[in-house]
Amino acid sequence: MDVVMPQLGETVKEGTVIAWRKKVGERVEKDEPLFEVNTDKVDMDVPSPATGVVSAILVAEGATVRVGEKLAVISEPGSQATREPGVQETRLSPVVRKLLAEHGLDAAAIQGTGAGGRITRDDVLAHLAERGAPQRKVVPFSRIRKVTAERMALSWRTIPHVLQAVEVDFLPVEEVRLAAAEAWKAKEGFNLTLLPFVAHAVCAAIREFPNVNASVEGDGLVLHGAVHLGVAVDLGTEGLLVPVVKDAGNLGVADLARRMRGLAEKARDKRLSADEVSGATYTISNSGKFGTLLTAPIIDPPQVAILSLDAVTKRPAVVGDALAVRPIGVLAQSFDHRAFDGAYSASFLRRVKEILEGRDWARDL
Amino acid sequence: MAELTYRDAVAAGIAQEMARDESVVFLGEDIGAAGGVFKTTLGLLERFGPRRVRDTPISEQAIIGAAMGAAMTGLRPIAEIMFSDFFAVCWDMIANEIAKTRYMTAGQIALPLVIRTANGYGSRFGAQHSQSVENWAMAIPGLKVVAPSTPLDVKGLLAAAVRDPDPVIFFEHKGLYSTKGEVPDGEIVDRLGTAKVVRQGEDVTIVALAAMVPKSLQAAERLAAEDGISATVVDVRSLVPLDTKTIFEEVRKTGRLYTVEENPRLCGWGAEIASLVAEECFYDLDGPIVRITTPHVPLPAADLLEDNAVPTVDRIVETVRRNAG
Amino acid sequence: MDRATRLALYRSLVEIRVLEKRAYDLFLQNLVKGTSHLSLGQEAVAAGFAVAMRKDDYTFCTYRGHAHTLARGAPMVGVLGELMGRKCGLMGGKGGSMHLTSVEHGAMGSYAIVGAHLPVAAGAAWSAQVRGTDQVSVCFFGDGTTNIGAFHEALNLAAVWKLPVIFVCENNQYMEYTPIREVTAVANPAADRACAYGLEKILIDGNDADVVHRTARECIGKARDGGGPSLVEALTYRTSGHSRADPGKYRPAGELDDWLKKDPVVLYRVRLVGMGIEENALRDIERAVERAVDEATEAAKACPPSGVEVIEKDVWADGGSSWRN
Repeated sequence: MDVVMPQLGETVKEGTVIAWRKKVGERVEKDEPLFEVNTDKVDMDVPSPATGVVSAILVAEGATVRVGEKLAVISEPGSQATREPGVQETRLSPVVRKLLAEHGLDAAAIQGTGAGGRITRDDVLAHLAERGAPQRKVVPFSRIRKVTAERMALSWRTIPHVLQAVEVDFLPVEEVRLAAAEAWKAKEGFNLTLLPFVAHAVCAAIREFPNVNASVEGDGLVLHGAVHLGVAVDLGTEGLLVPVVKDAGNLGVADLARRMRGLAEKARDKRLSADEVSGATYTISNSGKFGTLLTAPIIDPPQVAILSLDAVTKRPAVVGDALAVRPIGVLAQSFDHRAFDGAYSASFLRRVKEILEGRDWARDL
Repeated sequence: MAELTYRDAVAAGIAQEMARDESVVFLGEDIGAAGGVFKTTLGLLERFGPRRVRDTPISEQAIIGAAMGAAMTGLRPIAEIMFSDFFAVCWDMIANEIAKTRYMTAGQIALPLVIRTANGYGSRFGAQHSQSVENWAMAIPGLKVVAPSTPLDVKGLLAAAVRDPDPVIFFEHKGLYSTKGEVPDGEIVDRLGTAKVVRQGEDVTIVALAAMVPKSLQAAERLAAEDGISATVVDVRSLVPLDTKTIFEEVRKTGRLYTVEENPRLCGWGAEIASLVAEECFYDLDGPIVRITTPHVPLPAADLLEDNAVPTVDRIVETVRRNAG
Repeated sequence: MDRATRLALYRSLVEIRVLEKRAYDLFLQNLVKGTSHLSLGQEAVAAGFAVAMRKDDYTFCTYRGHAHTLARGAPMVGVLGELMGRKCGLMGGKGGSMHLTSVEHGAMGSYAIVGAHLPVAAGAAWSAQVRGTDQVSVCFFGDGTTNIGAFHEALNLAAVWKLPVIFVCENNQYMEYTPIREVTAVANPAADRACAYGLEKILIDGNDADVVHRTARECIGKARDGGGPSLVEALTYRTSGHSRADPGKYRPAGELDDWLKKDPVVLYRVRLVGMGIEENALRDIERAVERAVDEATEAAKACPPSGVEVIEKDVWADGGSSWRN
């Protein structure tokens, strides 16, 4: 029960607490003197309005307060309510402390449903149950994920996919790449990867196998001519973005590297323009850093093919009739079987392989 | 299966054990010819004869002393002290002699005896005939202490007490003598040192003894219906040995403990349980341990006064309600 | 009385005398701690009864119990070991001087609360009666005991149930530091109260071993034959204080000297010589006893003190002290 400054006279507006007769924690009987007050009219002892324990004294001796202001609190004897009513219960019980510590939780993060807003054991357990148990949880799709999901499903539904793969000996590429790596990094500020080499070989091969760079329209195949190369960028759980290197067929390895780097950065920063993510005629997907052997990528319509570059790792290889250790990687192409057949695709892949393994890459940098 | 009253279960338990073992004998005031002042020992003198069933003078020290002398020389005596309040008259024999003699003689002297007595409130006999003194016995090392709440437990625990090789103080509650309960036919032997969960709940654990058990069950029903509070009720049954395993397990499930004790406030049996829980289950407690007891006064005689001095169903409900959350 | 019995009596007297003196010496050397209540001057009562008792009879005595325990045949090393708190003590140091017990020898305990063992002795006698054996229970106590409640209760119960128990009051004239006559309503604290229980007044010279022995045989015989209890008052004197702590300054001048002239051991020796028992035979007994006490003393001294591992043992029959699970 709240103890307030009484009105000690009709015109009295305030009073000064001269002395407290009881201390916090002391028991007081109803009508027993609780405090002495002085007003401009009178000095008197004010009796306690209730029997109980003085649980809080809010006004010091000598302070002047207005009539009606709360001075103290008396709580029922024997009850645990030794906190002011209205003040949030912040004390934590032993089991609650233990659970908070065990699970690294902050009490502030938990809603208390106990007396006075106390956090109960059940409150903590409920919080844990919601938070991260291996229970069903609904995570709504981000916009990108939603779009990716729709497009993947559409592609899979409508395009008859066939997968073909070749193993490529990347030694010729690696020799040039690694030799140039340090100088490149110093000059350009980023690492030179295998991807621009692969992209350049693909674009070159496309010149000889144009059907790969096309779209099915009605009963015909539209050959695009220029290669606008989509390069898939993985955004973690949020989805894939595929920025497009326009006119990749006319770019050298170095330029390809620079353009791809720029677009990837923009993708991660979510700064790509609509133009930069549309109009791809062929796509390359790179899973290499994850160490995969082979991937069967899903074609991005209206394209008719997509190439996956997986991990390049040192493996035993037969060179001539001898055993050697070579950096080998798998290039796998998914193609739309409406557009062309296995032989065509395989020939294309063979050409890409030949270029990668046979070209004098030193001249490209 | 039969329905027996609590008092009939006493006679049945004694009879079961006296029939089984020739060395079991029984002595006390008015227990033979009169069948006991509470009619708890009807038929025993007729059935087992005056050699094994003896009516004594009003001589509590002699009764208990004789039981001790008989126990140490090959018999298994059951001695009755009519009202547990009278333990104060022969407390030397119980606390100084019986409780300590095995220990002082390094195990030479065995005392397989049972002292049974009528304990507790409810008969309007006044302060000197209404006490619950099981806490006195609990405090003395060397005594086992039992206090059943149902006819089934009376028979089973009395049998276990008689067969126990140590001194057992068997507290019958005089206020429960007329209560009834199902008791299976045939031999029944329970185990000392075991508590019973008589109601399983989820929110609070109420630990009670003897006549406070049915009150706690009633309170639990009301708490469920009126407050949505689901209460576990544990019937302690045995104070020494104490079934701390069951008590701790049930307290840990809910995080809240209430004891309901007929003893006056200071040093009731619940104080020891509260202390053990505070020490060994501290990190499982979601709120303070609360003891619901008779206030620290002798018991008044008038019916309304006596009934309201000990914990009532209302008081149990209000206390749990007030301390919830 | 035959020669063998007399020599047995003499041997018992000498054993008690020498051992009690040795206990006194050990106390002065601080090897016996706490307190010791010696029977110096009162040997004849213990010896007289012990020689008359059967192996399966029961002895109950007070904290002044070394003499009785020894006289029933308990080993000297056990008695001295218990006084010195050693592992070889009769109770392994758990009971101490005031609680000497050797159940194996029928010494059913020494009891430190005045009067407590009288009902217990009655109970042991009741047990013999129930079991139908003709064992008897002999209960020794001091003059001070006759004024405590348990004395009255035990005597009455024994008389009413006609129990085979002999109550023997060793009236050594002093209730601790107060002359017994000053605090007792009758002149002979036990003998003058026998009639209150329908028993014969028996007042004897407690320092005459033959008289004690004869009285013992009569009372034991009567009890064995189903004749019920007896109350014997044996007049004697303790030549040392109440306990080791008491130099006995409250005795009137000359009183001690008068009683020393009636030293039971000396008197009996003189009588035996007078009867024609050879000096050699007596000296052989004396030397054998001295040697036995010496050996027991050395053995007890050499024994290790009781280990702390026994502190929590032997509260219960299972050897432990657990009160919970």
